[in-house]
Amino acid sequence: MTRKQRRLTLISLAGVVLASAVGLVLFALSDGITFFTSPSDVLAKPPSVDQRVRLGGLVERGSIVKEADGVVRFAVTDGKATVPARYVGILPDLFREGQGVVAEGKVDGSGLFVADTVLAKHDETYMPKEVVDALKKSGEWRPEDGDGPAPQTVQR
Amino acid sequence: MLLWIVMAVLTAAASLAVLIPLGRQPHAPAHAGAARSIYRDQLDELVRDRERGLIGDAEADAARIEISRRLLNSDSGAAAEAPAPPPAYRIERLVALVLLPLLACGIYLYVGSPQLADRPAVNRAAEPTAQGNVDDLIAKVESHLAANPEDGRGWEVLSPIYMRLGRFDDAVRALGNAKRLLGSTAERESLYGEALTRASGNVVTEEARAAFDRALKFDPDDVRSRFFLAMALGQAGQKDDAIAAWKALIASAPADAPWLAAAQAELAQFQPTSTVTAAAPTAGPVAPGPTASDIAAAAQQSPAERQQMIEGMVSGLAARLDADPKDTTGWERLFRAYMVLGKPDEARAALLRARASLAEKPELLAVVEQAARDIGIGKD
Amino acid sequence: MIVEIGHYALVLALVLALAGGTLPFWGALRGDNRLMAVASTTSVAQFLFVAVSFAALTYAYVVSDFSVQNVVENSHSLKPLLYKISGVWGNHEGSMLLWVLILVLFGALVAVFSENLPLKLKALVLAVQSWISAAFLFFILIASNPFLRLDPAPLQGHDLNPLLQDVGLAIHPPLLYLGYVGCSISFAFAIAALIDGRIDAAWARWVRPWTLTAWCFLTLGIAMGSYWAYYELGWGGWWFWDPVENASFMPWLAATALLHSAIVMEKREALKIWTILLAILTFSLSLLGTFLVRSGVLTSVHAFATDPTRGIFILCILCVFIGGAFSLFAARAGQLSQGGLFAPISREGALVLNNLLLTAACATVLVGTLYPLALEALTGEKISVGAPFFDMTFGPMMVPLLIAVPFGPLLAWKRGDIVAAGQRLLFAFGAAMAVVILGLALMGTPSALALFGVALAVWLMVGALSEIAFRIKLGRVSPAESWRRGAGLPRSAWGTMVAHFGVGVTVLGIVGSTAWNSETIVTLKPGEAVTIGSRTLTMDGFVPISGGTYTGTGVRFTVRQGGNVVATMEPEKRLYTVPNTPTTEAAINTFGFSQLYVSLGDISADGSTVVRVYWKTLIALIWLGALVMTAGGMLSLSDRRLRVGAPKPARRPVAVPAE
Repeated sequence: MTRKQRRLTLISLAGVVLASAVGLVLFALSDGITFFTSPSDVLAKPPSVDQRVRLGGLVERGSIVKEADGVVRFAVTDGKATVPARYVGILPDLFREGQGVVAEGKVDGSGLFVADTVLAKHDETYMPKEVVDALKKSGEWRPEDGDGPAPQTVQR
Repeated sequence: MLLWIVMAVLTAAASLAVLIPLGRQPHAPAHAGAARSIYRDQLDELVRDRERGLIGDAEADAARIEISRRLLNSDSGAAAEAPAPPPAYRIERLVALVLLPLLACGIYLYVGSPQLADRPAVNRAAEPTAQGNVDDLIAKVESHLAANPEDGRGWEVLSPIYMRLGRFDDAVRALGNAKRLLGSTAERESLYGEALTRASGNVVTEEARAAFDRALKFDPDDVRSRFFLAMALGQAGQKDDAIAAWKALIASAPADAPWLAAAQAELAQFQPTSTVTAAAPTAGPVAPGPTASDIAAAAQQSPAERQQMIEGMVSGLAARLDADPKDTTGWERLFRAYMVLGKPDEARAALLRARASLAEKPELLAVVEQAARDIGIGKD
Repeated sequence: MIVEIGHYALVLALVLALAGGTLPFWGALRGDNRLMAVASTTSVAQFLFVAVSFAALTYAYVVSDFSVQNVVENSHSLKPLLYKISGVWGNHEGSMLLWVLILVLFGALVAVFSENLPLKLKALVLAVQSWISAAFLFFILIASNPFLRLDPAPLQGHDLNPLLQDVGLAIHPPLLYLGYVGCSISFAFAIAALIDGRIDAAWARWVRPWTLTAWCFLTLGIAMGSYWAYYELGWGGWWFWDPVENASFMPWLAATALLHSAIVMEKREALKIWTILLAILTFSLSLLGTFLVRSGVLTSVHAFATDPTRGIFILCILCVFIGGAFSLFAARAGQLSQGGLFAPISREGALVLNNLLLTAACATVLVGTLYPLALEALTGEKISVGAPFFDMTFGPMMVPLLIAVPFGPLLAWKRGDIVAAGQRLLFAFGAAMAVVILGLALMGTPSALALFGVALAVWLMVGALSEIAFRIKLGRVSPAESWRRGAGLPRSAWGTMVAHFGVGVTVLGIVGSTAWNSETIVTLKPGEAVTIGSRTLTMDGFVPISGGTYTGTGVRFTVRQGGNVVATMEPEKRLYTVPNTPTTEAAINTFGFSQLYVSLGDISADGSTVVRVYWKTLIALIWLGALVMTAGGMLSLSDRRLRVGAPKPARRPVAVPAE
């Protein structure tokens, strides 16, 4: 093999690897990502049954119902709309009524949000960024509200 | 002074870090030498690889030629550097001696606080907090309680402060401890219920309702419990019961009760056409009792304002006791508050006042004296 | 006073970094040896001053000096001593100080231990290092100063996030930083080489130990972080493809690639430009990680204060260093001399394949991490890129790499014989196939993917062993001769074997814990039991717990297998008092390499408790494998030829030229 041929082999190898990487990324980006929505969005145009979404908002007051074997029902609200949700598992320690929450899962045919992951704030003053933005959008953002979403993020 | 000496020493050390190498010819390994030893390593390794069959004969020869060529080249790269007489380094020395310290001092004076001494926590327990803020006071009580978690009175003193600051979860904890350690009373139960209610955003939860019910067992006329239970009925959607409860509460109220307006406003929600003239509508439900009106505001108050508020509460208590000295628990609470505020002298003065006004009632004074000794002021 | 001395020492370190960045650089341009020597002394002095500064801050934490704002915000006088100390770097300002401390530590190490480094190269390396530390010291003093004071001083601090009050946190960031920041050395070497215009085998040999050191710490740090998330977050997961995790994983991938390409460069002087580029990329990714974590662009457990000025400040540092490095690279790369020749099938070729796949995998992770940010900035649309994306991209990139790993060390330099290498790996291939057949026979029809994963892991492990077995001619000569040959092998060869074996161990752990993971969620009352696999957990009752800053409830479980008690476990619910935060502490018990994981949900008033139980098959191997990889790295590092640039004393004294 001449020097030129060797170099050509190398370059084509690099090309193959790069092309497959790009292909994989493009494929995964069309399929493997999760969109962030708010309860208003879900009601306005419900995502298809097999599409994973992240739902952010506040846990509606008085909506948490604990059933047998770790099944929890609650509702996520952004002040304008409310979406009922169901989750099986152990909730984060700071999952509370009236506090921010991000749930990941799918919306089933009846409009119930079946969550497989629930994230709550990590400490007293933390609020997931997506929730803050969603609440700002729906006009529910009240940083001055003592027990509402706190304006400052994690200070530690 | 010591600070400036240490800083001067450090600065001198920094200058020296630049000055020393300027005055001394460094030991300088030539690049070529290091490279050559690596090429010799490579040749050795080539022989080893050859023995192990890791490289073919032809390739080994090619590689040997390649490496040898580089070995030769590396020699030519090493130009002999004639040791020139070192220059005077006037600018460099100036930089090290003048610019460097000047820059350091300038930046430090801009960002640093040389006038402040260290304040290790160990030395500060006895520090007076007269000019401190309310967070300090709370911190003192909290650390006292962390060390003596069985001090029920301490928890009780702390709880209204938590309520005022809007730290309802903490208030629940404090009142729960007070209840556990000092026993249930109507007031403790109803305050506990209020804290629970506020902690859950003014929703009277099941737990809170149980607390109010317990309070009513001790004192069927406990206003706070009746107020919140009426609110609970409203929240549960039992409209008629709620109206009846509010009406009964308002009927039994003295005309100047501070919570009357709030109760009337609640009632008005259910009876828009009620004959009761609705008071000015309030934004949220307002609770009776001393923690009624300004809880929401307290959280936004400046430390100075909060401090003022607490001092106001204490001086109010003092004034009440001067008018009505028979309240032994009141005295005890006052002593404790002064101690917590870091004003032991005031506490002693209060004890003297108690002695004076309770002179004819030795049985009450004995209780107050005992309390003072427990708190640690009645020794003289 | 001590606090202010620490503050002043930090200022002095900045001034010295400026001097150490300019004077030696000027000296290198003029060929002035004395000016170049300034680099070493200022580097050591920088380290001493930052160390004084760090010690002063630690002192303030230990004695709970609440006149220091940083201590007030992140400590509490009642906190256990260990967490007071770890609190120093458990926050934004302190962690940046630790970052710089490690940066100047590496600078000082280069200054002290690289006596054989040519003066000019050393001066340039240390000057670049000084510029980096100057930039970050400036950032600390201006935008995130841990020495700011409060007057009047509060009496009590605000404690630490209880989630972060953990032994893991005490060790994890320093390790990770040692890795992150260690990459700065190879970066400084690359920039120095570009300025100097000279890159050769010697350069690669000087860079390799530093890269290897950084890589070892990075491996340990990532593994620690993963284990910390596993037991502390209570979700039973060990890797979440969280942007912050990716931020540490990308430099690791790039450093792994750099480690391998530096071998080619040292042994064969090929891939010069590529190696330089990788060195720059690795540190750029470290800086990017620092930016992502520190700027608050991402919200996660790890994001500390989110202050836009800080983010912009770090972004500027990032742009200057990365932009400058790449411009220099573009201007100079063409002038670097060509390297040695090699055929596509050869050791060099295998290492090129390794580099291509690693960098491509690294690029997919980068895309997955930055794409949501870019999309939100451009269209305002919010998405999250999670595990599915990375499973689809990163996984397929890794498979060919892992298949190729055992071939690499068996191929000859320049031109290899893939058939011969394949023959030597027949045993490994047989072992992998045997596992597949055994799996099919024992477990009926388990998932094909899981079987393939286990076969791959066996292939990697046995493949690594085969290489050594071939080298020492195991079985073909007498055991004594094999032993002699084994002892004669360079330690770096053993290191390679151990590290590659470790990769196999980790793969086995990942496959095992993913494919044979069972979990169950039940509500239990005291006296009731739950069965998972062959084990039964009986809930015995509640145990009150208290530990200084928290109180809580533990739940005692007895684990039985076949009627015999094999363990007791006690997961906890804690309530921290300041701030008032509840946390869950999972209980983990290891059986062989598998683990039983119990985490608690809500405890009702009547004593019924939601309990989540996981059985994680072989999961401990994930972190054990990382430890084995690190051990391999350290074994290589102990190879005399690599030891911090010390050239090997020549065997034939005759050949030593007078120097």
